[in-house]
Amino acid sequence: MKTAQAGTVESMDCLVTVSETDPGTGIALTLAGASVARFSKAMDKAVRETLGQLEIKDLTITVQDNGALDLVLKARVEAAVTRLKGGDEA
Amino acid sequence: MPKNILGREIPEFIEGYGKTLPFMGEHARKPEGNRAGPKLRAAFSDRTSKVVPDLKAAIAASGLKSGMTVSFHHHLRNGDFVVNAVIDACAEMGIRDLTLFPTALFGVHKKLIEHIKSGVIRRIMGSVNGPIGQMVSEGGMDVPVVLRSHGGRPRAVVSGDVKIDVAFVAAPTADAYGNLCGSQGKSACGSLGYAFTDAMYADCVVAVTDNLVPFPAAPVSIPQIYADIVAVMESIGDPAGIVSGTTRITRDPLRLLISKYASRLIEASPYFKEGISFQTGAGGISLAVTAFMKEAMKKRGVRGSFGLGGITGYFVDLLKEGYVEKLMDVQSFDLEAVKSIAENPNHIEISADWYANPWNAGTAVNMLDVVILGATEMDRDFNVNVNTEADGALLHGIGGHQDTAAGAKLTIISQPLLRGRIPCVVDQVYSVTTPGEVVDALVTEYGVTINPRRKDLIDACQAAGNVPLVSMDELVARAHEMCGPTDPVETENRIIGVIEWRDGTVIDVVKQLKKK
Repeated sequence: MKTAQAGTVESMDCLVTVSETDPGTGIALTLAGASVARFSKAMDKAVRETLGQLEIKDLTITVQDNGALDLVLKARVEAAVTRLKGGDEA
Repeated sequence: MPKNILGREIPEFIEGYGKTLPFMGEHARKPEGNRAGPKLRAAFSDRTSKVVPDLKAAIAASGLKSGMTVSFHHHLRNGDFVVNAVIDACAEMGIRDLTLFPTALFGVHKKLIEHIKSGVIRRIMGSVNGPIGQMVSEGGMDVPVVLRSHGGRPRAVVSGDVKIDVAFVAAPTADAYGNLCGSQGKSACGSLGYAFTDAMYADCVVAVTDNLVPFPAAPVSIPQIYADIVAVMESIGDPAGIVSGTTRITRDPLRLLISKYASRLIEASPYFKEGISFQTGAGGISLAVTAFMKEAMKKRGVRGSFGLGGITGYFVDLLKEGYVEKLMDVQSFDLEAVKSIAENPNHIEISADWYANPWNAGTAVNMLDVVILGATEMDRDFNVNVNTEADGALLHGIGGHQDTAAGAKLTIISQPLLRGRIPCVVDQVYSVTTPGEVVDALVTEYGVTINPRRKDLIDACQAAGNVPLVSMDELVARAHEMCGPTDPVETENRIIGVIEWRDGTVIDVVKQLKKK
């Protein structure tokens, strides 16, 4: 199974881990870390919106958060997915 | 349900706490009657040593029984061995249902959780943090904890709200007749300020020391007339946890910017003049503010009268260099402060009663010009929360927050706008520790936000021309834009914490967190 990551666990960042799943299984999202207690709805929305824009329908995705703002979270999700698809070797 | 003056719902009766008095304003409650007092006792010349072989012998001799109240002070901070050792000994002796009345608890005390679960400790009146805070927040204690400030606590003792049966005083140096000193010995911690009131008002006082010296010990923090029993332990604490190394000024550019703004606000205020007094604590931002103020004092030829509160080496330098005349020390944070209080007569050891109790003939905070404080959050009305974290769990004690905010002429909260994704300004704080009526300004990296009731300060900042002002509305909007909407904290109905204002009225309650 292919897996990719983007981000760090530094303050105000997050580590996003994505792995491929079988078509039709949908998005399996796990949120963990600092902001989840009060921002899980907003984080959930940001991740799903980004995946929607990238036209990803099936994915296992884990966010280990350390206080990332939405723009950081979205960028990390996009980077992880891009790496998973082999678009970025960085 | 009845509400207090801040609109917080406070039940008339709280199970495990009793009848409540709602907070009605800073000075609304007036004291009545006389000071409470401890049991009278007599000692005669046939007994010239109070030393017992060990802690268990001390506990037995103290008459401590199940259901009683035991007090501790926190000058040994995260290096403390005494609280755990005493409660362990109580457990082994079959003593149960104790009320623990510490001035503060630290991470090192997480061992107490097993004694809470087994019923040795039934109740805590004092700050709970870390693992104990989490446990209490999730409903792990049958009786709510009671949070009091450093001034509210001695008020509760001297007014008789809290009766201490046995006070345990960790003494870095003691003689066999109970003269106690904080500034000498291998476990030296400096000031014993928080322990004074307990020593004076407990029915029995047990001094616990690891440095027994010939009579009479000197200098004396707490004299022999209060100590009933002296117990010797091999070590009362770990020096590495008792005193920190040199406290460093923050190097984070964001925090330095905040410190610079705070310092400019102070310089623009009418209090920046000969004889200024201040309390800035030991936090990174606070120390940086002090450093910037020192520069300004030098430039404008202003000298201060005193520095107050928890004292660091940085304040000791200000004293040595003549930027302040005196230090009034209730807690010495580092080695430099410990050394200074032992040697310098202008470095004065003061009790918690002297420091902050609103119900005496005049407390030190009343003489304070400026205080710099922190917050976990602040709301549009300038109400401040320092007790609960963003997830609604009890995490911090009140410390001297309420007392210094009430006493000082200029109360400044300095805080970055965001801690991670969590904003420090909100529409309404989750729990109130300190009411907006005693808070004057918030300083963030976006500038200085002044409580609208302090029109004089707004004018002074505008006249100074170098203090960027930002309104509370603008700050809240900015935070909201960056952080997004917050989910509510989900709670049960049960109250697990009662936050008292320094006069003993209830300013807020904290509810049990819903299981996730």
